[in-house]
Amino acid sequence: VTEDLIHFRSRARAFIEANLPRQGEEHQLTDHVIQAQIFDAGFAGIAFPAEYGGAGLTLDHQRVFYEETDGHVTPQGFGVSIAMLGATLLDFGSEELKARHLPNILRGDELWIQLLSEPNGGSDMAGALTKLSRDGDTYVLTGSKMWSSGARRADFGMCLARTDFEAPKHRGLSMVAVPLQGTPGVTIDTILQSTSVPGDFCTEFFDDVVLPVANLIGDENQGWAVAQRLLFHERNATAGISHGLGLMGSRSNEGSDHIASGALFRGARRRGLGGDPVLRQRIAESHVEHVVSMAARTRIMTGLQTGAFEGQWGSLLKLHIGENSPRHAKAALSVWGPDGVIWEGNELVSGSVGEQFLGSRGISIAGGTNEMQRNIVAERLLGLPREPSIDRDLPFSEVLRLRRHGPA
Amino acid sequence: MNLQLTGEQEEFRLTARKFLEAEAPLSAVRELFEDANGFDSAFWSQAADLGWTSAFVPEQYGGGTLSGRSGSDAVIIAEEMGRVVAPGPFLPSNVVATAVAAAGSVDQKTELLPRIAAGSTVATWALAEPGGVWSQTEPDIQAVADVTSGRVVLTGTKSYVESAAVADLFLVTARTGEGLTQVLVPAGAPGLKVLPCRSLDITRRFGSVSLDGVSLPESAVLGTAAGAGPMVERQLQVALALQCAETVGACDSAFTSTVDFARDRYAFGRPIASFQAIKHRIADMLQWLEFSKAIVDTATEAVDEERSDAGELVSIAKAYAGDRCLDIVDDCVQISGGIGVTWEHDVHLFSRRIAVNRALFGSPDQHRERLCCLLERNESL
Repeated sequence: VTEDLIHFRSRARAFIEANLPRQGEEHQLTDHVIQAQIFDAGFAGIAFPAEYGGAGLTLDHQRVFYEETDGHVTPQGFGVSIAMLGATLLDFGSEELKARHLPNILRGDELWIQLLSEPNGGSDMAGALTKLSRDGDTYVLTGSKMWSSGARRADFGMCLARTDFEAPKHRGLSMVAVPLQGTPGVTIDTILQSTSVPGDFCTEFFDDVVLPVANLIGDENQGWAVAQRLLFHERNATAGISHGLGLMGSRSNEGSDHIASGALFRGARRRGLGGDPVLRQRIAESHVEHVVSMAARTRIMTGLQTGAFEGQWGSLLKLHIGENSPRHAKAALSVWGPDGVIWEGNELVSGSVGEQFLGSRGISIAGGTNEMQRNIVAERLLGLPREPSIDRDLPFSEVLRLRRHGPA
Repeated sequence: MNLQLTGEQEEFRLTARKFLEAEAPLSAVRELFEDANGFDSAFWSQAADLGWTSAFVPEQYGGGTLSGRSGSDAVIIAEEMGRVVAPGPFLPSNVVATAVAAAGSVDQKTELLPRIAAGSTVATWALAEPGGVWSQTEPDIQAVADVTSGRVVLTGTKSYVESAAVADLFLVTARTGEGLTQVLVPAGAPGLKVLPCRSLDITRRFGSVSLDGVSLPESAVLGTAAGAGPMVERQLQVALALQCAETVGACDSAFTSTVDFARDRYAFGRPIASFQAIKHRIADMLQWLEFSKAIVDTATEAVDEERSDAGELVSIAKAYAGDRCLDIVDDCVQISGGIGVTWEHDVHLFSRRIAVNRALFGSPDQHRERLCCLLERNESL
């Protein structure tokens, strides 16, 4: 019998009160130590099966735990590893991989990331050129991946690579686990973002990296299904309906209802424009979008739980975040005016509304662009017909030939 | 649109839907375009029998709720009415019922509530005034209720009053000094004159009501003279929840048929829904629509629980659904192409209802300003 939510909530609250420091409280705990504590108490991966270190409960329980962490320090930096990669490994990994890695992932002892996009293609992920060739008892990986967050710190990457160049693009891909630290042939570079802040984004180069056959996730040439599942988990995690503590790491990071509008009001008042009717409309719009998105998240979670919704409804939330993040950043630019983009002194100041604007397109591109989300919403949620594809059924080698030489 | 209705509420929805399919199909709604009143009293009395005017009336006065949550029950009907742009003075009847049930004397409740619940009395709310001007968080009220020596005397003009020409009872919101007073005025009271108004909507009729020294015994005052402010706010919240739910229902209907059309319509050798120019637009529309449903349900819940954030949430619902649903139905016209701007195509029926709803009880712009005022009040920014 599954533990009821009320009982679970009080158990979760007791653990959180006793172990997680309150926000603002002094403490010496590292993120890893806190994550390990949560794991040891049975609250990491609450919806993962017990044999892999989870609690064998449901995503409802996970959400309750997440809610109860409000106001407490929570471990940051494990969201991708648990909610996206761990969840995908659970769906597609071999027994051996699951038993070896899932407990480590949940405890924060191992960090996993995704290696999907390439310098040649982001949205057209199935056009991957990175090659995975069988060589006796091993695989050899050659190529490069890009836009992978956190590769410098990660222990493993889940890499989409081509195992069959003669099959159509979606049918010649495989997913493989690549150890990233100290592996011969792996080079990792950091990408400097437009904000000038050294970001988390990396480019990885793979020069004849030798991998055990057992590192394959899912069957050979079935990598597309694994990648789709990974993206599904990513969208849900972005939308806050996922394993672990989600991508935000804590509820407090979601931004309380009034933080966004409060900062905008302050900006307007600083310039003596707190009563400006046009700016007030923009401030209210930002607040409205924020509150409505919270309501929509609850609605979609409820729909998925009750079965009223099936499939990739997280995409609607992702589409909204992708549209709203730049919109909000531009509202802030309006409200702050020159003070948002010019400041006194010679120091480079980070965190300005101008810098937020430069970075605000990140979320409308990362994790599937707004345009890809619109395709998903239209085709998968509403069942609208796809655009005709000219490369879908051709052998991938033929697609490459056409790209080089044009149609015969 | 609530995803967690009780079994009884699901039944309630189904019954309403079947009734509307039989009694108010779009062809019948179109015929009412020529009708002076915009609805048939026999239809309205049947609707009342189905419980459409009962949710805000306590059981002892002939009403009752299915779920114990009046708003949650009533928005089901509002949505269903929106789906077929149905006729009938649903919103004003329920809002006046809310006010009388909460603020009425025993006499007022005993006399009025059973008749409102039965649909035999058409009650309407005279709130707005010419121009629909708001200041800060509420509509400007210039009409005066002079309460002296056992009488209340009303002077002023009320505008955009739904079903004014057929209403039996007006709940008039007026000013007494610094405070607000609400008065229950029977149709035909000396000094009360209704100037009927047509609207963009096919079936919904309004009226301007002039109050030229309408004098009534003080027992016509609802609640405390000069103390009706909180009740008016509560009525506004209920009105907005019902109105936004109806808007969302209308929008859902227009959206669904437009998506079906885009799936079937062929151009350049394929269904137009396969073009990203169309399907991406449709994806945005679905996002706006689902988010509108979400905020309407969230606001309704707050109104039912009489929470302190209910005022803020109904304004958010109106600001969001008011604008987004108009954008959606407008896009529906665009996707429909030429046929979408003809009389014979149904989409304009929905555009009409949504545009009229958007203008009443505060526009989205007015609610954004109200929201700023509420946020500034609620916290030290």
